Formats: sequence, structure tokens, C-alpha cells
Amino acid sequence: MLSELSSLINSKVPNAKAEVINPEEGSLGEGSILVAPESIYAVCEFLKTNDKYSFNALQVISGVDYLECIEVNYMLGNFDVNNPRQLILKTKLTDRVNPRLDSVCGLWHAANYQERECYDMLGVTFNNHPDHRRILCPDDWEGFPLRKDYMTQKYYRDMEVFPDDKMNYEEREFIVRQKQMEEDLKKRMLERGM
Amino acid sequence: MQDGIVLAKADELLNWGRKNSLWPMTFGLACCAIEMMATGASKYDLERFGCGAFMATPRRADLMIVAGTVTLKMATRVKVLYEQMAEPKYVISMGSCANKGGPYWQHGYHVLKGVDEVVPVDVYVPGCPPRPEALIEGIMTLQKKMASERLLADKWVKNA
Repeated sequence: MLSELSSLINSKVPNAKAEVINPEEGSLGEGSILVAPESIYAVCEFLKTNDKYSFNALQVISGVDYLECIEVNYMLGNFDVNNPRQLILKTKLTDRVNPRLDSVCGLWHAANYQERECYDMLGVTFNNHPDHRRILCPDDWEGFPLRKDYMTQKYYRDMEVFPDDKMNYEEREFIVRQKQMEEDLKKRMLERGM
Repeated sequence: MQDGIVLAKADELLNWGRKNSLWPMTFGLACCAIEMMATGASKYDLERFGCGAFMATPRRADLMIVAGTVTLKMATRVKVLYEQMAEPKYVISMGSCANKGGPYWQHGYHVLKGVDEVVPVDVYVPGCPPRPEALIEGIMTLQKKMASERLLADKWVKNA
């Protein structure tokens, strides 16, 4: 179904660049279709309205930060009793500073909150979103928590996020990692000196 | 008791009344609130301690049970609710999250590391979540603390 669907998308939506991603050998999971981020609205519109493989439900929009790109996943479904199906649609945004995508709120109302969450956690801006603001974090929060390079702010409205007198910094992971790196460096220096 | 005379210190009489009609605020943040509700329900029956009248507004309540994770977003609201309560007011911090951040203590970027950062806490109840017995013990500890308070005496001495 996936290869047929991707060739259908390519024939109906120009510049979609749809390709099938199959799960690696020996690993579990379903295959997915990767499309170009500029054509996401057109692809979704096609997937919703075509006759053969229509997807009338948007189940999830989620995001993944892979450092080199931010991937946004759409899980579409159709709960047709005779032919239930679902599809994982992926798109990759290479611009980490200002990632932008077209909103699919016009097609599925369910996209509203999901896109807001994606914006809140990963900072993906959705064009033409009817209510584009954070959903979980406070409105004046800084940064996007699910980014790999996220640094927690020191204060939020005069409240210290990690108060020094309450934290056990020796046990915090990155300090431990940093100490290990320092020791490794010392060892290497010693070896060279010897 | 008819035509009888009871002699008591004014402070102790007031304290006796206050500690046995402790009205908590209807206020739950996370899973600890489920235990708090269980404490208020018939099996554990908080009303035995005069503490079962959960008030729907902070203005009528004199005890805030902070039951659950206090996120930074909620912390501002917790502070507002505490300031809306009338004096004298008390706070019980219920559960590990409200005490010290709980499981979010180390990496929780969004969790306040203990509700005592924003409001003064009278009694800490440890547990994750604490059983109803633990909350009842916390409330009884608070009642003991209230019984030893001398609000009138302090006020008169201060203003003398």
C-alpha cells in the first residue's frame, strides 16, 4: 500500500518528493512516507480527499529532534469497518532556527492542539494556524523543552528553577559526564607526557 | 453543663475552636489529590477531625493542602490562592513533589523544587503519594501546632 500511495502522491502533488521509508531489517514498526515540508498541506489535502485511500482522521502530530533536522510526524487514520488503515506521514525540517510548516487545521480540526504542542515543545511554527500559542508551558516561557540543545532558564518570574541550596549537583548527570571527560583528558595528557 | 461555668484561657478556647473546625480549600494538583479525596471520603472520614468541610473558595478556607506537583506555571496561582486566604492560614505540603520536587527534582525543568519556595509551609507530609493515614497524621500535627499558638497574647503583647 505504501509504495502505491507514494507514487499516487507524486503523480497528484508536484514537488511532494514522496518516498517510502521501510523499517530496518529485524526491527519492529511500520513503514512511513516521507514528503517535502513545503508540500505538506497539499499532500494532506490529497490524502484526505482522494477516493481510494482517504484518511478522515488525524490521530497524532508529533515531533522529533534529530539535531541535524526536526522531524514532524503525522499519524493519519481511517476507521472504515471494511478497510481500516493508518499511515505515518513524515516531513523533515532542516532549518533549526526558524522551522516553519503549513498548518493542516483547515483539514482536520484535531490538528489545532497537536500543532500547538509541537510548537510548544519543539518550536515549529505553523503558518495559518488559527490560535498559534503555547499549550503546556506558560506563555512567557523561554525556549523549547524537547529540543536536544535546550537549556533551562535560570529564573521563571523570580522563582529559581534549580535552587542551589536544594540541588545535589554532584549527582547531576551532565556534571558527572563533564568530570569524566576531564579525567579522560588528563589521562591522555599524561600518556603523551610519558 | 446547664448554668455551669467553664474557666479557660481566651487563647486556648479560641485555639480549641479553631483547630477543631479547620476548613481546607478544595485544591488538588495531581495524584496526591486522589489520596486527599480518599481521606475526605467515608472510609477515612476527615470530618472526625473537624476538617472535612472542603471550601470552594480560598476566602472561606484556613488550610491549604498542596496535594501534588507544583509546576512553575501553577506556582504563581498557588501564591495567589494563598494570598486570597484570610489570616490565620496554614499550609500542608502533601507528597514528595510538593515537598521537594519529587521525581522531577533533578531534571524537571518545569517543576518548582518544593512549594516552600513560594508559600510558608507548616507541615510536610512525605510519601508518593502519602496514604490517607499519613495525611491525617499531618493534619493532627498541624492541630497540635495550632493548639500551642497564642494569637491573642502575641497581639496584645505586641500592641501594649
